[in-house]
Amino acid sequence: MNQQGFDDGPQGPEIRLPKPNFKLIRNVAIVVVALIIGLSAFYQVEPEETALVLRFGRYIRSSEPGLHLKLPFGIESVEKVQVQRQKKEEFGFRTVKAGGRSQYATRQYASEANMLSGDLNAAVVEWVIQYRIIDPYKFSFRVRNPEATFRAMSEAVMRSVVGDRTVNEVLTVGRAEVASVVQVELQERCEQYEIGIKVDQVVLQDVNPPDPVKPSFNEVNEAQQEREKLINQAQSEYNKVIPRALGEAQQTIQEAEGYALKRVNRARGDSARFVAFFEEFRKAPEVTRKRIYLETMAKVLPQVEGKIIVDEDLRSVLPLLNLNSTSTEGGQR
Amino acid sequence: MNRIAIILIGFIVLLGISGAFYTVKEYDQVIITQFGKPVGDPITTPGLKFKIPFVQKVNRFEKRFLEWDGDPNQLPTKDKRFIWVDTYARWRITDPLLFFQRLRDERGAQTRLDDILDGETRNAIAKYDVLEVVRSTNREAQRTESEAEDEVTLSTIEAGRGDIRDEILRIAQSRTGDLGIEILDIQFKRINYVEEVQRKVYERMIAERKRIADRFRSEGEGEASRIYGEKERELLRIQSGAYKTAEEIKGHADASATGIYAAAYDRSPAAREFYEFLMTMESYEATIDKGTTLVLSTDADFYKYLKRSQ
Repeated sequence: MNQQGFDDGPQGPEIRLPKPNFKLIRNVAIVVVALIIGLSAFYQVEPEETALVLRFGRYIRSSEPGLHLKLPFGIESVEKVQVQRQKKEEFGFRTVKAGGRSQYATRQYASEANMLSGDLNAAVVEWVIQYRIIDPYKFSFRVRNPEATFRAMSEAVMRSVVGDRTVNEVLTVGRAEVASVVQVELQERCEQYEIGIKVDQVVLQDVNPPDPVKPSFNEVNEAQQEREKLINQAQSEYNKVIPRALGEAQQTIQEAEGYALKRVNRARGDSARFVAFFEEFRKAPEVTRKRIYLETMAKVLPQVEGKIIVDEDLRSVLPLLNLNSTSTEGGQR
Repeated sequence: MNRIAIILIGFIVLLGISGAFYTVKEYDQVIITQFGKPVGDPITTPGLKFKIPFVQKVNRFEKRFLEWDGDPNQLPTKDKRFIWVDTYARWRITDPLLFFQRLRDERGAQTRLDDILDGETRNAIAKYDVLEVVRSTNREAQRTESEAEDEVTLSTIEAGRGDIRDEILRIAQSRTGDLGIEILDIQFKRINYVEEVQRKVYERMIAERKRIADRFRSEGEGEASRIYGEKERELLRIQSGAYKTAEEIKGHADASATGIYAAAYDRSPAAREFYEFLMTMESYEATIDKGTTLVLSTDADFYKYLKRSQ
C-alpha cells in the first residue's frame, strides 16, 4: 500500500483522490466514533436513583449511584428509577405552590374527593399517600404505567374503607383508623399487582361533608357548644350558691352555740350570785331584808314626784284623786 | 468498480444482518410471523434474537399488567337506585399466540374487555341493593357524640363490595379464558349517586343534622334544669338543717339555763321567797320613776316611823 492506501495498479498509479481529504475523513471519523463511544458508554446515577442496565433489552445488573460504564452503541441501555426518594400522590386536591404557606387547588379535583359512606351519606375526602419504590425491577417491568395504576388502586381502596364507615366516623373519631386500614389494604394490593411500591404513610387531609350540607353540620357543632354552655351556666350557678349557703348554715349554728353558751353561763352566773347572796341572807335574814328594803325605797322614792302619804285611820278625807295633776296639794316633798 | 460493489454488498449485508437481529425487552413477548402466519412458540425471554430477514416479521406484545379503565356508567341497583359506577381493571397477555389469533392487538382487547367487564358489572350491580355495593363488611360503627344511645347507624349486609367484585372478576375471567389474557383484578374506583338521588340524600343529611342539633340543645336544657333543681333542693336542705340544729341548740340551752335557775331559786321555800323579795325590790327600782304617783299609807314599813318611833 502506498501512502493513500491505494494499491498501485499494474499500469502504475491509479486515480488519486486528493490526499488530505482521506486523512481528514479518517481522523474525523475516529474522533466521532470516540465521541459516540464516550457518550454512550458512560452514564451517571444520581444519589436517589438506581439504574437498571439492559443488554439488548435483557436485564443484566443494577447500578448504585455514581459514574458507570456500559457497552456503547445502544448495546446496553439504562433505565433509571428513583428509589430513595419519598414520593407522594395527592387526591382531591393539588398543591399549587409549596412552601411556607402552601396553596392548594381543590375545585377541579372534586370528583376524586367525593365518596359515599357506609350509612349512605356523602363525604368529601382529601388525602395524601407517601410511598417509595422498593423494587425498581418490578416497578419498571411488571406493570405498565405504574403511577396511574397506583392512583387507581388508591382511590378504590379509600372508597372501600370509607364506604364501610359512618360519615360521623370519617369526619371525627375514625380518621386515624381509616388511614391505617387504607395503608394496610393498599400495601396488600401492591403485593398482588407486583408493582414494587411500599406505602409509607396515608394521611387524611381535609375531610368534610359536602358543601350543601356543611351549614347544618356546623349547626350541630354550635348546638353542641350551646349545650355545654347551658350546663356550665347551671353548674356555676350551683357553685356560686351552695358553698355560700353552707357557710351561712355554719354561721347560724355557731350563733346558736354562742347564744347557748351565753345563756348557760349567764344562768350559772346569776344563780351563783343568788346562792351566795342567799347564804349570807340566811345568816342574818331580818336585818338583810330590812336593809334591802330601805335601800330600795331610798333610791326609788326621791324620784317620785307624786307622793301622797295618808294615814290608815283617816276617814274624813275623800279619796279623790286628781289624776291630771302631778303636783301635790299639801303633800310632802 | 470493485469498491462500489464492496460498499453495496456491505450495505446489503448490513441490512440483512439488521433484519436478522431483533431485541426482546424485559416486558416484551414476541410472536414471529412468516407471511402473516405465526411460526414457532412465543419468545418470552429477553435479549438479542435471530430471525429470517425480510421474510419473518416481529410482532411485539406486552408482558406487563395493562390498563383497562371503564367509562363511568349510570347503573341501576336492585332497589331501583341509579348510581355512577367507575371501574378499572388490570389484565395481561398470558398466551400471545391465542391473543394474536383471537384479539389481534391491544385495541381489539380493549373493545372486548369493555364488552365483558362493563356487561358483568352491570349484571352484578342489578342483583344487589345500593348498600351492598357500598359496604364491605359488617363491622360495627364507632359511636360518636352525634349518635343517640342505642341508635343503629350501619345496616348489615349479606354480600358487600368485595363479594360483588369477586363475582364480577370470576365471571369475567371465565369469559376471557379462551382469549389468551388473564384479568388480574377489577375494582370499583368510584361510586356516586346520580344528580337527583344526590339531592335527596343531601336533604336527608340536613334533616338528620337538624335532628341531632335539636337533641343536643334539649339535652343541654334538660341537664341545666336538673342542676338548677338540685341547687334549689340542696339550698333548702342546708338552710332548714341549719335552722333545726340551731333551734335544738338554743332549746337545749334554754332548758339547761332553766334547770340551773331552778336549782338555785327553787331549792327551798325560803329561797323561793327570798328570790321573790329580791326581784320585787329590783323591779321597784326599775319601774317607779318621776312620772309615777304613789299613794302610800303610814302603815307602810318605810313610813311607819312617822307615827311612832319604834
